Amino acid sequence: MPTNDKGAGRSAPAGIDLKEEDIYEAMRKIPGYLDITPGDFKEIYLLAYQQAVARLQRQVTAEDVMTREVVAVRPDTPLAEVAEAMGHKGISGVPVVDEAGRLAGVISEKDFLRQMGVTGPQNFMALVASCLRGKGCVALPIKKQKAQDLMSTPAVTVSPETPLKKIAEICAARKINRVPVTDAAGHLQGIVTRGDLVKATGGGSES
Amino acid sequence: MMGRYFRKIAGTTQSPPRVGLAEICWSGLGSLLGIMAVGYLHHQLFEGTAMLLLIGSFGASAVLIFGAIKSPLAQPRNLLGGHILSALIGVSAYQLLPPCPWLAAAVAVSVSIMVMHATRTLHPPGGATALIAVIGGERVHNLGYLYAVLPVAAGALIMLLVALLINNLSSERSYPEFWV
Repeated sequence: MPTNDKGAGRSAPAGIDLKEEDIYEAMRKIPGYLDITPGDFKEIYLLAYQQAVARLQRQVTAEDVMTREVVAVRPDTPLAEVAEAMGHKGISGVPVVDEAGRLAGVISEKDFLRQMGVTGPQNFMALVASCLRGKGCVALPIKKQKAQDLMSTPAVTVSPETPLKKIAEICAARKINRVPVTDAAGHLQGIVTRGDLVKATGGGSES
Repeated sequence: MMGRYFRKIAGTTQSPPRVGLAEICWSGLGSLLGIMAVGYLHHQLFEGTAMLLLIGSFGASAVLIFGAIKSPLAQPRNLLGGHILSALIGVSAYQLLPPCPWLAAAVAVSVSIMVMHATRTLHPPGGATALIAVIGGERVHNLGYLYAVLPVAAGALIMLLVALLINNLSSERSYPEFWV
């Protein structure tokens, strides 16, 4: 895509494929002589677009994009129920919240896999391999356990005012797919998933 | 390195599209009336002198304020500021520099461009206005700084008035884009 001859190495942000023909046609629709070349307009447009994306990333915060109706479990919820809830809702992680609504930790698929003796990469196929090599269901050892025995704590959290850019950096650095959003007292306000991040930055046009 | 240098010479983009017939006609009508007004004034005031040279400078202004009315170069701030500042600089260059026309002329134009840039009043015909202050002959020189008022500021104001009247007649034209 567009390698602008003028700006060395300056290219359009993903999703924008503005061609000089487009600009030329747009200029034709405006009556009167426009004192600018299509090439210069394109350069301005690309810089302005990058500027807007950067501004939105600074301005949009966790509060704006988070999912507010969060599927959460209690510390004493049996793991069978936790697993059912995750399976039923099709989510790969849930926050663990105490009676007062404070975040106690987070349980994800990876916590299950780790507890079930899966070493190395913690994913479904690693579990299958572990099942086939071993004997029977590897979930048995954790049958009696509760959410609090398995959860990762303290969880990585952000505040409602955390900018999106910062959240994206945290997700990447900690290799996590969701970040609970808590207020100053630690109460769960919502959760920001990678999906929320993608949607907020315009990656997901289908809602 | 050299390849990039020569690619730049080949150009990087294309010319803007040709304007429509209506735009061509409005540009023609506006400039016809604008130059007629300034020309009549000059003819009455300075008949048969080198002062008529200045009409050349306003001819260039007409291209902008009637032919490219959206251009930042064509806005009132630039039209008035560019002509008046350049006139002052041109007169100063003639009076302050040694009697060496080609030096004073070059300095007048170059300083005018720099000052117009710095004051956000860039208006290409200003360069001609500065130049004429130096090479316009004895009667221009005798005017001193009055040159900046009459004929320069007066002429620019008349051009502006015609531009304001004519450029807003069409529903598709609007002038100016900004004042200050």
